Amino acid sequence: MNKELEHSFVEQLQKHQNIIHKVCRLYTNNADAHNDLFQEITIQLWRAYPKFRGESKFSTWMYRVGLNTAITLYRKSKRRISTQEFDNVQFKIKAEEYDDTEERQLKLLYKAVHQLNDIEKALVFLYLEDKDYREISETLGITEVNARVKMNRVKKKLKTILNP
Amino acid sequence: MDELELLKKDWQKGRIEFKSYSDSDIYPMLHKKSSSIVKTLFYISIGELVFWLLASVLPYVLSPTFREKLDISYENPLFIGLTILSYVIILTFIYLLFRSYRGISSTDSAKKLMESILRTRKVIKYYVIFNLSLFFLSIPLSLYFEYQDNPEFHQQIVEASTTQMLIFYIVSIVIAGIIILILLLFYRVIYGILLKRLNRNYKELKKLEV
Repeated sequence: MNKELEHSFVEQLQKHQNIIHKVCRLYTNNADAHNDLFQEITIQLWRAYPKFRGESKFSTWMYRVGLNTAITLYRKSKRRISTQEFDNVQFKIKAEEYDDTEERQLKLLYKAVHQLNDIEKALVFLYLEDKDYREISETLGITEVNARVKMNRVKKKLKTILNP
Repeated sequence: MDELELLKKDWQKGRIEFKSYSDSDIYPMLHKKSSSIVKTLFYISIGELVFWLLASVLPYVLSPTFREKLDISYENPLFIGLTILSYVIILTFIYLLFRSYRGISSTDSAKKLMESILRTRKVIKYYVIFNLSLFFLSIPLSLYFEYQDNPEFHQQIVEASTTQMLIFYIVSIVIAGIIILILLLFYRVIYGILLKRLNRNYKELKKLEV
């Protein structure tokens, strides 16, 4: 593949890399796994790039390939052995004045989201990214009605996890 | 407030600062080896093709006695017909496999991607079933050809008692059965492990349609 293509790809990926980071954050539990999935999503994006026609935005396309990799294509690699806690390593949380109760609730919420299954996580992720139900349904390959139904179930499930 | 809304508010704030990769970090990533499930499936299917082709070609190449026998059998038009048929089927499988791999695209929807991977796995499954049936069929067929072409064997069969024949049949069926069972178990384990997560997620998506 030619250098120009590679250059334009890397440029756009670099700009939107947070999308991949956010997918990795939901689907992995430690820094090594995060990096490993990041790597795999990058490879899958690069492989699919020649077929990217620009019909959708680069970022929209990234959501799809990123989630497909996390849910379906990615095979956990065996080179991961470390169990390092990822919070301190992979990203920093900006220091801001936060209400203690809210902070605690948020922590519990993130933990609860991690307990969801792969499909539920994908729904939550797209919802958090402010995607509408049309895009959610197209990304997952289900109808809009079913996406809404599932989303309501996920909300209920989160409630149950938080208040057992 | 709805829990998810609270989470969304926080998520949108972008309080998290991820490690930012530079261009020079990303370039080498593009050329690293992928560990995707499709790649593994691809290697397994190549392995299957090679294994079954070798299983049919190697005895011919390695054993002169076998070659001699087979050369006699090749004089029988039925045998030639069956051999040609089996190679046509193998070529068809190679084509189907190639086509279904081309159909797998990471830019499809999650469900469609899963379906095309499962379709590929099905092609491999049918290929294995075809080979196992061929293996199973080859036992009575080879006995038939042996009976036709080998006067000694012919004589032995004619002279054998009913009990002897019965034991002979049972033993061949049991041995073939055991071999097939072992192979089937082997495949179950391999694909079971590889596709466990995919099957689970696919079921989860399908469940929504009911």
